[in-house]
Amino acid sequence: MSILTMWKLLLQGFEISVLIFVVTLVLSLPLGLGVALCRMSKNPVLRGITKVYISVMRGTPLMLQLLVVRFGPWFVFKMKLDDSYDIWAVLIAFVINYAAYFAEIYRSGIESVPKGQYEAAQILGFGRWRTFFAVIMPQVIKRVLPSVTNEIITLVKDTSLAYAIGLIEMFTRAKQIAAAETSMLPYLFAGILYYIFNYVVAFGMEKAEKAFGYYEIK
Amino acid sequence: MKKRNIKIICAIAAVVIMTLALVSCGGKKETFTVGFDSEFPPYGYIDENGEYTGFDIELAIEVAKRNDWEIKLKPIDWDTKDFQLSSGAIDCIWNGFTMNGREDSYTWSDAYVDNSQVVVVAASSGIKTLGDLAGKTVAVQTDSSAEAVLKNTDNEKMQALASSFAAIKDYGDYNTAFLALQSGAVDAVAMDIGVAKYQVSSRGNTYIILNEQLASEEYGIGFLLGNTALRDKVSKTVKEMMADGTFEKIADKYGLKDSIKLWK
Repeated sequence: MSILTMWKLLLQGFEISVLIFVVTLVLSLPLGLGVALCRMSKNPVLRGITKVYISVMRGTPLMLQLLVVRFGPWFVFKMKLDDSYDIWAVLIAFVINYAAYFAEIYRSGIESVPKGQYEAAQILGFGRWRTFFAVIMPQVIKRVLPSVTNEIITLVKDTSLAYAIGLIEMFTRAKQIAAAETSMLPYLFAGILYYIFNYVVAFGMEKAEKAFGYYEIK
Repeated sequence: MKKRNIKIICAIAAVVIMTLALVSCGGKKETFTVGFDSEFPPYGYIDENGEYTGFDIELAIEVAKRNDWEIKLKPIDWDTKDFQLSSGAIDCIWNGFTMNGREDSYTWSDAYVDNSQVVVVAASSGIKTLGDLAGKTVAVQTDSSAEAVLKNTDNEKMQALASSFAAIKDYGDYNTAFLALQSGAVDAVAMDIGVAKYQVSSRGNTYIILNEQLASEEYGIGFLLGNTALRDKVSKTVKEMMADGTFEKIADKYGLKDSIKLWK
């Protein structure tokens, strides 16, 4: 197998990794905000349920959650799902897992905004939702960006866990090529691809942080 | 009806339709899903085009073709093979699957490959016999038959051998085990002979396989316990392939002609 073929095969796996990454990010970021709001709700039942959810999602390995989402329907409901369900299972597990982490990051951001700002907004005649989205959220986003960047970079690398249920993403591809070719090169190439991917992510997030830096006095 | 209600109904309908689509995508043709470890050459691995190939894979494709089934090749994480089988995600495990010690856990075809567990060492190490391994560190793949053989407490000979080693180290895959051998982290690797031959020849013959073997065993096709209907269909086709020479031809292609067992 030529080096070129190795790259070609790795890039096929890379597409799956990118798909998991993008879908997880696009769905879990807004879902996380919803979870954070439930977590801080005045309703004790809602708050309690959310607390348990976050605790379970953070307290168990993502790999185990993948197995539960993939094989749970069979063990609980005797539902036979063929392998077209694999990608769905991966996306569901990643989204609900990452939403829990993002929720706690949002909560830290929301709680860091001084109470006085709510009072000021009220005096100015802002409603509850307007206060939240026009006054609080812009500050929250700015404050949580570094933590979110951390989480997103972890997500890029976590995509390799999809192998647990037999979905062939980039790292699995690297392992397959390495086994067929009895060579360590595919791992090196996969490492380079992960690094480039994360470099782009970090670069984008740095730009975003700068864009939200408009409060600072220069 | 309020607008909000319509939205909720639409959302529920979308979820129901998606679920139905997922559950009912069987299609017309019967499918035959084979689960295998895609890092197990020469039995199952990927070729130049990223397609799955290997001795077992070609056999499975031929069986499906002759039965007019649609073949689905499903690489699995070896540790989750039982989940995959019992949940119906795969129909059988067909990939250098050792029968010995697992006789009662699956519905098996007859054995089609005679396999043995062997030890690979560096050609320059001076190790010639199993006795020379005393005080050495030996690598095995996690959950492999080689590990089971060396850790079998009922076999006194293996017990004595294993206790003469300095240690037995587990690795997730053979590539890493060979890296450990190359770098001197371990002195030997215990594994299936078919895989050992592939590894030794593709690594430029700087390694040798010891003549003394650890154990002999057999490969079979494993089906979910009780699924004799599918087992019988597959067995019948494999028998036909043995009769018309297709089986031998495929074995020859992967250098396994000496290990196969033809059914009478």
